[in-house]
Amino acid sequence: MNRFGPALRAIDWTGWLGAAIVICIVLAAVFAPLIAPYDPIALSVEDRLSAPDAAHWLGTDQAGRDVLSRIIFGARASLAVGIGAVTIGALLGVSAGLFAAYKGGLGEQITMRLVDGIASIPLLVWAIAIVGILGVGPLPVGPLVLPNEFKIVVLVGCLFSPVFARITYAVAKRIVGADYVKARYLQGASHWDIVLGDILPNCLSPIIVQATLLVAIGIVVEASISFVGLGVQPPAPSWGTMLSDARNAIYSGEWWLPVFPGLAISLTVIGFNLLGDAVRDLFDPRSEARTLVA
Amino acid sequence: MLRLVAGRIISSIGTLLFVGLALFALTRSGPGSPARIVLGADANAEQIAQFEQAHGLDQPFLTQYGKWLGDVLRGDFGKSFVTGRDVAAEIVNALPVTLSIVLFAFAIAVILGVGIGILAALRPAGVFDRLSRFFSVLGLSIPAFWLGIVLIRFIAVDLRWLPPGGYAPLSAGLAAHLQTILMPAVSLAVYYVAVLARMTQASLQETLRGDYVRTARAMGLSSRQVVFYALINALPPVVNLAALSFGYMFGWALIIEQVFNVPGLSRALLNAISQRDFLLLQGIVFLFTTIFVFANLGADLLNRVLDPRQRAAA
Amino acid sequence: MSLLSIEGLRVGFRGANGGVIEAVRGVDFAIAPGEAVGIVGESGSGKSLSMLAVMRLLASPARATGGRVIFDGADLLQVGEARMRAVRGRDIAMVFQDPQSSLNPALTIGRQITDVVRAHQQVSAGQARRIAAEALERVGIRDAARRLDAYPHEFSGGMRQRALIAMAIACQPRLLIADEPTTALDVTVQAQIVDLIAELRRDLGIAVIFISHNLQLVSEIVDRVVVMYGGKVVEDGPVEAIELAPRHPYTRLLRACVPSLVGPVGPLVAIEGAPPRLGRMPAGCPFSPRCPRAVEPCASEMPEMVGEASRRVACWRPQ
Repeated sequence: MNRFGPALRAIDWTGWLGAAIVICIVLAAVFAPLIAPYDPIALSVEDRLSAPDAAHWLGTDQAGRDVLSRIIFGARASLAVGIGAVTIGALLGVSAGLFAAYKGGLGEQITMRLVDGIASIPLLVWAIAIVGILGVGPLPVGPLVLPNEFKIVVLVGCLFSPVFARITYAVAKRIVGADYVKARYLQGASHWDIVLGDILPNCLSPIIVQATLLVAIGIVVEASISFVGLGVQPPAPSWGTMLSDARNAIYSGEWWLPVFPGLAISLTVIGFNLLGDAVRDLFDPRSEARTLVA
Repeated sequence: MLRLVAGRIISSIGTLLFVGLALFALTRSGPGSPARIVLGADANAEQIAQFEQAHGLDQPFLTQYGKWLGDVLRGDFGKSFVTGRDVAAEIVNALPVTLSIVLFAFAIAVILGVGIGILAALRPAGVFDRLSRFFSVLGLSIPAFWLGIVLIRFIAVDLRWLPPGGYAPLSAGLAAHLQTILMPAVSLAVYYVAVLARMTQASLQETLRGDYVRTARAMGLSSRQVVFYALINALPPVVNLAALSFGYMFGWALIIEQVFNVPGLSRALLNAISQRDFLLLQGIVFLFTTIFVFANLGADLLNRVLDPRQRAAA
Repeated sequence: MSLLSIEGLRVGFRGANGGVIEAVRGVDFAIAPGEAVGIVGESGSGKSLSMLAVMRLLASPARATGGRVIFDGADLLQVGEARMRAVRGRDIAMVFQDPQSSLNPALTIGRQITDVVRAHQQVSAGQARRIAAEALERVGIRDAARRLDAYPHEFSGGMRQRALIAMAIACQPRLLIADEPTTALDVTVQAQIVDLIAELRRDLGIAVIFISHNLQLVSEIVDRVVVMYGGKVVEDGPVEAIELAPRHPYTRLLRACVPSLVGPVGPLVAIEGAPPRLGRMPAGCPFSPRCPRAVEPCASEMPEMVGEASRRVACWRPQ
């Protein structure tokens, strides 16, 4: 805190706005059952397609379900995929980057070529295709039955991993060659001490920046996969499926059906992007040119 | 120079072979063998063995991959087990639709993105700087398919300026063609306009501070030439990002085509998924991956032309 | 009649709180046609900023806040940008410290020189190329016509600086401003570049302003030395006078920092303390906090420049 105290004060209002949005959405997802005014999947024929009013602030859908409640519960799928995929991607990528940089030799070559290979996979096409191949049903793993989202998390996580592998590798490679690391080694520090104690901490700031920005991309990817029916399966609520259901409403005029889930996605993505930009300015203001795309 | 280019091309092809192998393995890892899917659950072992032999499915895995790859190189993507239709023909039918939308969107993204980025870098705190900031927050945050839905609602349903969906090929006339691809392309492009504007602005701002730009000004070059001096050095990261964008656009085009009900590769891919037609699926995904890999290769080679140091170095 | 006359030039940085921090605080001196003047001082003395101000090349947030720069009867600080562009490169050219980063890495040397030629002269592409080859030949690059197609990274550091000088002299300017042109180079190459500049001045009659922190180096080729400290000129005089009888304590110490190659070898001296920071200038003489001879008025009152035009010093206790 001491280290970042002055810098925290330097974050402009957009950074704080991003943080506030992210915190609100995370809280909404975690406490969804307490916050949501209605059951997100309870059907109610007499309430179908009612415009926003005092009873249903954001209206109801074709099945009479409360849009606000579905959006609040939908945050769970979005955040789970966004944050889950980034976590998996970071774990895989950082390990690979550290391994390649520290190990050197053939291991380094093979690892980084593998990273190049994964990086040359177009994310969304493969995500759609592979979920399509594996099927959208729940996945039994031993005693657990994992929902379809789990496949998306793992898949998107794998495809995110090259971003982390490359940053970690670049930073770690520099440090591995530094004299103080050799000195630490001569002092008798173990490989783990050096990798986890000296190298990893130096990679953290760019990793955190990229992670924050990638969560935003992960959320849009989840919404898109759900939109084509390969993600969260009905009747469970997800912003993508809500937009997919809302397509018929484009013509009939129930504007609240497409508008609010879309706003939810945009707001969340804006939140993570603003937060990511602020974190980058805080840690590493010169890295502006490094832009993520998906 | 020639050896370097050859090396890069070979390395790209190697990547493609490796990724293709992963794809081939994954398509076969789904539940149910192709024979079961085609013949149904009540087929007996003999029928299944006969089917597998007829389609070469009894061969070792790598042999199957090698044969498929060899056929693909000759433009033969195989015949669908499910529909019996020629996969290549189906792709050729749907590809122009997707390609037309993506190319149009790419043109919009490059022209607007790079244009806004340049103008924003030249006039910090000016109109375009603010426009670029606005775009980079908003453009990055609006999912393309949602933008598509909103556009259909306002432009097509309320204002009736454009048809809400469908597709008219170029053979139906340029105006009709553009009318059908304008909204999909715009929806697809907005995110990339933001990304490219951001990168162009950041990169050009950096090179404009370069000593060689000061030299150019100290020698009395015109402002247009001074900008050119900075721009030529600012382009490489933009070219790389544009290539990545081009590759990724095909993925988002799949979603956009669904929104606008366009009969492109998206429909073919989703049909392949629902019918478990994995030869068709494999063909489409492999095609997209090839485009992605070669777009990046193209950017790499273009950057070698732009940056003489890269041309000389490894 | 002087070629360029700088009068009361001030350069300031706009601070975060809207205030202006002055880095150059009233510089006056003039240079005659064909004359060579050295501007000497530590980094932060305002020598480079003054010359960037003359060329109107200051980058935001720095800008000229006062004074006049008279060239050809006009105040360069007031003329339009188009007029200024015509002056740069054609009448006054400037080369910079780091030849590595001062050439455009993406364009050939020839392209960069011909662009300068064609910015100022209505010539065909072929003629421009011939002029460029001549300029490159002039700065001592062998096989110049062929080297035009080389990229900067194919040149050594010294050759790059030569190429930059070729760009500067391609249009035969009347004044060449060289901002520490040898600092980034090897010692042996430094001497070659200094010799080259002296030779160009002799052969082409170009006036030269040579900016350096190295009094010794500058003395080899200039007629007159202007010593700057804390954004002000503290001493100005013929090179022999500055070398043999410096009057300002700072000039004395500056001279003692570098071993003389000709005179008797005295003890090497380092100047105690650090140059004053921007915005923290003493009210009086900027050198007073570090001056071994400082007396009562030094810290509180700025000494005026005294002496005749060719030999001036600003000090309460000159030697």
